[in-house]
Amino acid sequence: MSSTRPSRRGVLTGAAVLGAGGIGAGAGALASRPAAGSPAPARTVAFHGDRQAGITTPAQDSLVFAALDVTTRRVGDLADVLQRWSAAAATMTTGVPVGGPGGVGGAAEEPPQDTGEAHELPAANLTVTLGYGPSLFDERFGLADRRPAALEELPALPGEQLDPTKVGGDLCLQACADDPQVAFHAVRNLVRIGRGTVRVRWMQLGFGRTSTTSTAQSTPRNLMGFKDGTANVRAEDTADLEEFVWVGGRGAPAVDQEWMRGGTYLVARRIRMLVESWDRAPLGEQERVIGRAKESGAPLSGTGEFDALDLDRTVGGKPAIDVAAHVRLAAPETNGGVKMLRRGYSYTDGLDLATGQLDAGLFFIVFGNDPHQQFVPVQRKLGSQDALTEYLKHTGSGIFACPPGVRPGGAWGAGLFS
Amino acid sequence: MIRTSRPLLALATAPLLLLVACSGGSTAADDPSGGGAADGTVKVTLTDDGCTAEPNSVPAGPASFEVVNSGAGAVTEAELVNSGGRIIGERENLTPGLTGTFSLQLEAGEYTIQCPNAATETSTFTVTGSAPSSTEDPLFAAATSGYQDYVKEQVADLVAATDAFAAAVEAGDVARAKELYGPARAPYERIEPVAESFGDLDPRIDARIADVADPATWTGFHRIEQALFEEGTTEGTAPVARQLVADVAQLNTLVQTTTYQPADLANGASGLLDEVANSKVTGEEEAYSHLDLLDFAANVEGSRKAFDLLTPALQVTDADLVATIQARFEDVEDALAPYRRGSGYALYTELTPEQVRDLATAVDALAEPLSQVSGKVVGAADR
Repeated sequence: MSSTRPSRRGVLTGAAVLGAGGIGAGAGALASRPAAGSPAPARTVAFHGDRQAGITTPAQDSLVFAALDVTTRRVGDLADVLQRWSAAAATMTTGVPVGGPGGVGGAAEEPPQDTGEAHELPAANLTVTLGYGPSLFDERFGLADRRPAALEELPALPGEQLDPTKVGGDLCLQACADDPQVAFHAVRNLVRIGRGTVRVRWMQLGFGRTSTTSTAQSTPRNLMGFKDGTANVRAEDTADLEEFVWVGGRGAPAVDQEWMRGGTYLVARRIRMLVESWDRAPLGEQERVIGRAKESGAPLSGTGEFDALDLDRTVGGKPAIDVAAHVRLAAPETNGGVKMLRRGYSYTDGLDLATGQLDAGLFFIVFGNDPHQQFVPVQRKLGSQDALTEYLKHTGSGIFACPPGVRPGGAWGAGLFS
Repeated sequence: MIRTSRPLLALATAPLLLLVACSGGSTAADDPSGGGAADGTVKVTLTDDGCTAEPNSVPAGPASFEVVNSGAGAVTEAELVNSGGRIIGERENLTPGLTGTFSLQLEAGEYTIQCPNAATETSTFTVTGSAPSSTEDPLFAAATSGYQDYVKEQVADLVAATDAFAAAVEAGDVARAKELYGPARAPYERIEPVAESFGDLDPRIDARIADVADPATWTGFHRIEQALFEEGTTEGTAPVARQLVADVAQLNTLVQTTTYQPADLANGASGLLDEVANSKVTGEEEAYSHLDLLDFAANVEGSRKAFDLLTPALQVTDADLVATIQARFEDVEDALAPYRRGSGYALYTELTPEQVRDLATAVDALAEPLSQVSGKVVGAADR
């Protein structure tokens, strides 16, 4: 842990503080308002396409995230599972059971192909997104020369106390849906299909999206009670997506592995909030730490949620947005213009049995085309300077390369193994 | 699961045939290897309307089938079913655009191509030449009679080992009884699903204290295990030992006349792995002696025996599945090997949580494909 953490309530200004914000590494301060009269939501999201779904897809309500390890040394088995996963995901995302419409039934003597709990539920905008961890590119499968330079294990970062049982993974599956049962069903069935080839290393359920990834969405609140993701890269911000999110996009770093063109990198951080301490903090302290007003979500330098941050504005000789405020330190302006696409979810896993405190917080997911130049430096700064760090503990972590989308008739892994 | 004195049902009227080539995997339709049907290949096209074979008649002998899903959303598999209603070849999980192949030796006769979920689920397929005249499926008959022999042999071993164990208990020789406890457990664990088919015999022989409504009525191996390994005494266990000998003798009488269906072997093989996953790998079965790995190994041996007996018949319908299951049995055996100690195994209490998890992972990996076997050994007519 960093020894230079700002002390709590160290800087309580008497200023009229107004603001809101959210945890997480900075994303673009794109002051766009939600479009009025958003279109009626379709209940299915196409699985096939140039990009994987579940990245710029408007964030659904719930998440099941699984990091998996490959348990076989037979590379053909791995390719086979990835292919079967693609077929099953393509089926499930249309609301159809694994194995087709009859997949929940079948012969009396056989276990049904589909586990059944999503039967007759709508597709609920299910998306399934696959990623490859750095460890997949070791000596086991002959993929060492396929590893993109950007897919390196994350370095040790300030503000983390990682639980070794919630770190890493050869693969990850991110299932998001508007119904938690649909999301769980997807991961459960994929895990079942992969049994013997992969096993779950760790898993995280998330609820209540904490990010806005489309101008059509209102800004949700995280478990600190603040609006989170006001200044996020959105699906409509094409130029930012090209430059900061998609591998090989316009203005993005050069592509060193052609199979990753059109993909992106996912960084997952299980960020526990020390909610008991937070809830005891006065409102002024909470707002100073975040840099936004709790109720309106407006930055402390402005009056409306979507007002741009004015980091230079002073009130009574002091910065309106504190020098250690989360939104200041995470803002692109203070990070060389770096933007990322945040797509996190709230989580709770019951109790910390050692203390009886609630184990709850943010399962932070961020997409970008150069995590070691985007997420890492931002988090290094936040972990050592951000006033919010006092209330947080990063307990889980993973980095994954999400390949481009699967085209009809194609499969996950096709580019990697070609 | 297992029925006593039930005659073997002849499910198939045509003999099963030897597989020539392997079942191929699925390939994307645009893959060069999954192109048009080669010479002598029967092309089966799946649509939402049905499945058609082109040609729909071939001479007896080796045949290859190429199943193409040309865009059917609802139909993902095709099966070749003989006149006895048994699936003799199939490809599953073919989503639109995928192609799968299987090859086999065909005897003359009328067959059906079946594709579940299509508007028309069946079409006829003819193999010309001289018709066979078998009324029973010899491969399955060999499997079930082989299993009957195996069960008898294991129960004979069980009788001998239990008698010796019980004698030591009755003699009050704690050290000797402890030595003989493991050897008596193994043959029982190999055929446990058979014992479970006889009403309350299994609870009398093998119940754990948590399984009984009233601890005062608790009998069997684990009741004695607790006395020996937890309390270091044989006190009060002589009547339990005598009852155990009688119960095992009764089991021996019953298995002399028990016959089995192919599905019994398949379900038994799966059931044994569920035993491993739910009570052995957790250390619950042998809570006082900690010999769980010995039971684990015996369950796996019994499961493997049942599967091996089914293999010749299963090889014909699904060689891929056979290969997968065999590889995963080997993985489980490899995972268990480091814990072998002489004629027994390391104590469960010596395992680290990580080692337990690795064993459990290997068992789950095997149990999943093994659960598909029972469906392969029953007739398609039952669907």
